[in-house]
Amino acid sequence: MTLKLILKFIGGWGIVILGFTLFLPVGATAADIGNCLLCHKYPGLSRVDEEGKFRLLYVNEDIFHQSVHSKIQCEGCHADVKKIPHDPVKKVDCFIQCHVIEPSSETKFSHKDVQSFLEASVHAKVDEYGNPKKFSEDMPTCLDCHDNPLYRPLSFFKTVRPGISETAAGRCRVCHKKDEFIYRFYNHITTRLHKIRNPRNVAEVCARCHDDPEIVKRHELDTLAAYSYGETFHGKAAFFLSERVPDCLDCHVNRGQSVHQMLSSANPNSITHKNNKDMICSNLDCHPKATPGFSAYKVHPEFNPGQSPAQYYFTVFFLVLAGGTLLPLMGIMGLDLIRRLFPHAALKRRKKP
Amino acid sequence: MIKEKDGKRYFFRFTLNQRFQHITMASCVITLILTGMPLKFKQAFWAPYLYNLFGGIHVAPIVHKVAGSTLLLLFAYHLIYVLVTISNNYITPLKQKGQLTAGNLIKTLINLPIVPNIKDLEDIRDLLKYLLYLSDKPPEGAQFTWKEKFDYWAPFWGIVIIGSSGLIMWHKELVTRFLPGLVINFALIAHSDEALLAMLFLFIWHFYNVHLSPSVFPIGTVFLTGYLSEEQMAEEHYQQYREVMTAAGLEDQMLPLHGTRPQKGAEEDMPVTAEDSVPDFAGEAKTTDN
Repeated sequence: MTLKLILKFIGGWGIVILGFTLFLPVGATAADIGNCLLCHKYPGLSRVDEEGKFRLLYVNEDIFHQSVHSKIQCEGCHADVKKIPHDPVKKVDCFIQCHVIEPSSETKFSHKDVQSFLEASVHAKVDEYGNPKKFSEDMPTCLDCHDNPLYRPLSFFKTVRPGISETAAGRCRVCHKKDEFIYRFYNHITTRLHKIRNPRNVAEVCARCHDDPEIVKRHELDTLAAYSYGETFHGKAAFFLSERVPDCLDCHVNRGQSVHQMLSSANPNSITHKNNKDMICSNLDCHPKATPGFSAYKVHPEFNPGQSPAQYYFTVFFLVLAGGTLLPLMGIMGLDLIRRLFPHAALKRRKKP
Repeated sequence: MIKEKDGKRYFFRFTLNQRFQHITMASCVITLILTGMPLKFKQAFWAPYLYNLFGGIHVAPIVHKVAGSTLLLLFAYHLIYVLVTISNNYITPLKQKGQLTAGNLIKTLINLPIVPNIKDLEDIRDLLKYLLYLSDKPPEGAQFTWKEKFDYWAPFWGIVIIGSSGLIMWHKELVTRFLPGLVINFALIAHSDEALLAMLFLFIWHFYNVHLSPSVFPIGTVFLTGYLSEEQMAEEHYQQYREVMTAAGLEDQMLPLHGTRPQKGAEEDMPVTAEDSVPDFAGEAKTTDN
């Protein structure tokens, strides 16, 4: 009865409008000025590109809003999209200027500085004289390592834990009125206070190239780096999601610099250079009592007679010991079981005394 | 030495102190395996579940260190226990007789029942002949058989290797003040691979001999009660069984040696030992042989 009254009251058009609003995407975004989500909100939106790769074109708006780029409009990165429906888009160029204003300099924000860092790093496509390196096509570009990462906020109230401290947010509200700003700023700062990826994820990213036997061989690297890291206690702890152990970047990036400035261990300015290695382990947060002897620990040994002969033959000794001990004993067990089937049988019997 | 209960004989093997040491060691070793193997085999599907059962990466290493420390303390206690036992049972009597010389001391130590000797090699040879159907007479085990000596000395070596390498990794900053960093690499290999060998040795060989062998399945209870049943005593320690039964004046009631039950058509060849000539117990032995 009540339902009939309501229906009469709002009328047929009311039903249509109500239904339409119910199915609108939750929190339709202000960033989506180009109305890209009109199409890209559908989970099945995908195609096979010219290279035969399957491309999923769906954008989950809720997840996107948890990401570090949530304030950027779609066309801020996909700058070549000028009309809808659009033509096939180009790969995103991370070095373009975007529409966000960098607050400390009040200029348009850009990742362009990363380019100059990268060009002076071990991952540069050119050598120090500007000549292309051998196999420069293997050198990583932004998207080889980066995706659109999610915020990983930390709460520092009494203990450090993942998440947002409402106690801290309450202090922000004294001066800042917009919760949207407070949470975004909080997310930005606390995410930057630690790493956007845990050690396991970092190793997985590096492994894309450094565990590729072809790339390792082409560049004459002496280890499958992420694999051999995974064989150490640090790597195993990282595998079980510890965030207290060092990942690749903690040892290979000079302190106070960014991953984009990583240097070759042959470079005397690199922290991984043999003359500087002592400083890696003795980090205050790691092994402050570490001596040069401690740092001489081989971090990337492999079960490989060419790469680590001493460790290889030491391991072989234990393998032989294990096989030499267990196989004969297991043979005796097997014979014992068979013997019990015919306990009194024998090819040769004892003679009477 | 012999205890009778419900018409069955049981033979005393291990003191309460020894059983306490064994069960403490077993608990520590199992804990160490459960908290160590997930790290060694981190990619295995069971590794994260097992590791999380012990508190994951932030707690399991502490559990591992507590169990390892307990085992090392037990090892130190065991060394003291062995030295005191040798002193009380062997050195003091020698001293009282005025025969405590270096030669006698070495002879005593070599002849300790747990020390491997020529008889063990002969027993292995006889066992292989028996298992390969080349003989119908299994070896007659003494107080400690070669299998038990293996079970004793293998973990003894294992604790030294795994314990010392564990301590090196635990106190790596201290150790590398005196030794090169590569010692940590070798410690990790020794700790991990020797632990795998120890685990397989215990769960395959030791467990087969004391729990899973058809003679003792489903569980051997001597590690709890300290007493071994007459059938197992006769099967595994026949030499000592004969000595004890003879000392107790029960030689006419002895079970035959395992596998030597007289059978039809073979009576002419048998028996060769006094116990085999006791037909009353042949039938009883039949039930325990199989």
